[in-house]
Formats: sequence, C-alpha cells, structure tokens
Amino acid sequence: MGIVYAIISGKGGVGKTTTTANLGIGLAQEGKKVVLVDFDLGQRNLDLILGLENRVIYDMVHVMDEEAGLKQALIKSKHTENLFLLAASQTKDKSALVQEKVKKLIETLKEEFDYVILDAPAGIESGFEHTIMYADATIVVVNPEVSSIRDADKAIGIVDAKCERAKENKKVQKYLVINRINPAMVTSGEMLTSSDILDILSIDLLGKIPEDKGIVEASNTGKPIILNEKSNAGAAYKRISKRLCGENVPFEDVETYNAPSLMGKIKSLFQ
Amino acid sequence: MSFFSLFNKKEKSAGVAKDRLRIAISSDRNNTAYPFMAEMKADIIAVVRKYIQAQSVNITKESDGDVDTLGIEIVIPK
Repeated sequence: MGIVYAIISGKGGVGKTTTTANLGIGLAQEGKKVVLVDFDLGQRNLDLILGLENRVIYDMVHVMDEEAGLKQALIKSKHTENLFLLAASQTKDKSALVQEKVKKLIETLKEEFDYVILDAPAGIESGFEHTIMYADATIVVVNPEVSSIRDADKAIGIVDAKCERAKENKKVQKYLVINRINPAMVTSGEMLTSSDILDILSIDLLGKIPEDKGIVEASNTGKPIILNEKSNAGAAYKRISKRLCGENVPFEDVETYNAPSLMGKIKSLFQ
Repeated sequence: MSFFSLFNKKEKSAGVAKDRLRIAISSDRNNTAYPFMAEMKADIIAVVRKYIQAQSVNITKESDGDVDTLGIEIVIPK
C-alpha cells in the first residue's frame, strides 16, 4: 500500500508544481514506484514541467468518469524509470471533481504505486479540498515572504479541518519545504530565515531550496532541475527525496552567503 | 554593506516581516480555527441564560504546542 502526499501552498506561484516534478523524479531515482497526479483542473502544467505535454491523450477526469482505463491514461516519464504522470483535464474545471470518484481513483493508485503525489491547485477552494481529502500527509511549499506564509497557514488549517485522516482523529503529517531562499538576503537580514518561518508555522521542516537561475531553464526545456547534477536547488530536491524515503539526511546550510572573493569576481567576468 | 550603513539603525526588514506575520496569523487562526464557534457560542448563551442573566459570553482561544485551550468567560451584572 502506497502513501499519498498532497503538495499544497495556499498562494500560487511559489513552486508547487516544480516541487512535485522534482520530488517525483527524486523518489523514482531512489527506486520507488511513483505517480504524480495534477489536480489543477483547467490549468494543467505538470505535463509541461516534466516535458510530457505532447503525450497527454487521456487525463484524470477521463479515468474518474471511466472513459479511459488507468493504464491508458498514465504517461511514463522520459527522464527516469518508475515515474508516471496522470495529467489534469484542460477542458473541465474543478467542478468536475466528485468526492467518491476522487476517493476511488486515489485508492486504486495507492495499490499500484509506492508514492502517490498530488499537485494541488493554488487557493483553498473546492479543488484544493478534493486534493487534500484523502492524503496521508501534506508537503507545504512556501517562499520566505509574508503573503506566501500567511496563505500557507490558512491552507494548513483547512487540512486539519477537512482531511479524512484528521476527521478520523489520525495525525496528518505536514512537512515544510521553503523554496527560493536567497542566501545573500537572509544573511543581510532582508529575508525571513528558515527558523523564523518554522517558528511561525510550527510544522516539521522537510527541506530548504535555494533560489536558482537554473529553474527557469529547467522549465523552459521540460527537464526538472534535479536532473542537473551541478545545481544547488537540484541537490536540495535530492536530499528531500531521500528524507521522504526515510533516510536521515542532515539539513544543509543554504542560508549563509559566501561573498565571492575578488579573484572569483574577476573570473566570473570571463565566464 | 556600505560604510554609512554601519550607522544606519533602521530595523532589518526580515524582523519586521516576522512580527507582522505573527500578529496576522494569530488573528487569522482565532477567526477560522473553529468554524462552528459562532453557533457554539449561541448555544452556550442559551444554556447560561436558563440559569442566570449574563451580560456577555466570550470565548477565547489560546494555543500551546499541540493543544488549544478554549476559555469561556461569562460576564454577570452585579
């Protein structure tokens, strides 16, 4: 029986889909069988981030309405073995989601995969509620920025109220991923530190991801940053994937800014 | 950091952000933690009024680690 993680944020644009794609690849590279489900109905994007946009024929709504079989709708990743995508519907909106059908879909996926990762839509409305309803645990993605953190707190509150596990008085584990940390700004006191954010949200830290210019290139080309061995953000996603597999990976300091030396600056002029 | 900024005592914005967030989030949490709060309050008032003429009933919430404590304050005129 697999475990279901919902990736949530409250606020849009903080890196939820990017995190879903990277953790999917990371977990699959650890040898786990993984399925990513895009719950952002009407605004499908996970396919694009994974470079699979040309392969979508059937989506999750087709599967839920039994217009297509699960095997037909699952799209195999080009980047790694063991990773599959179930795309969001681009034509139907979140009103297409029916609780019973969502439940059945997730139960079926749980039987086939070790990790079922649900990419939630932004906001805290019905699409979001359907995503968290049957999750075993949630991964909350925030940016070190006030509106993201406040919206995340709101989303966490809804998980505690609406998730089936919570209703059965079982604990819904919530893990925090802090994305787009700018070390220079944290060091100069212009950006919230990870410990500030943990203090405020009081959930468990899963990982810290430094801001990385490579992220834009990664989404431009449909090759998530975790595939780039030299990238700091990619390495951070790798560490998170290992933690999700139960490995005890120490938290690395991604917040201390090491100013480049004069030689380094001169060198960078010639790069 | 420039030479002059050493003398500039302006508070760092991360500290400002943390303080503002704390206040905003604690007020959000009080307002949304228990959606049934208003209904429960009405029920409590109804029960209290059966026995005593209360002036007001206030429910306050405090959080400490894993537990929330709800306090019910019943104000009675002398």
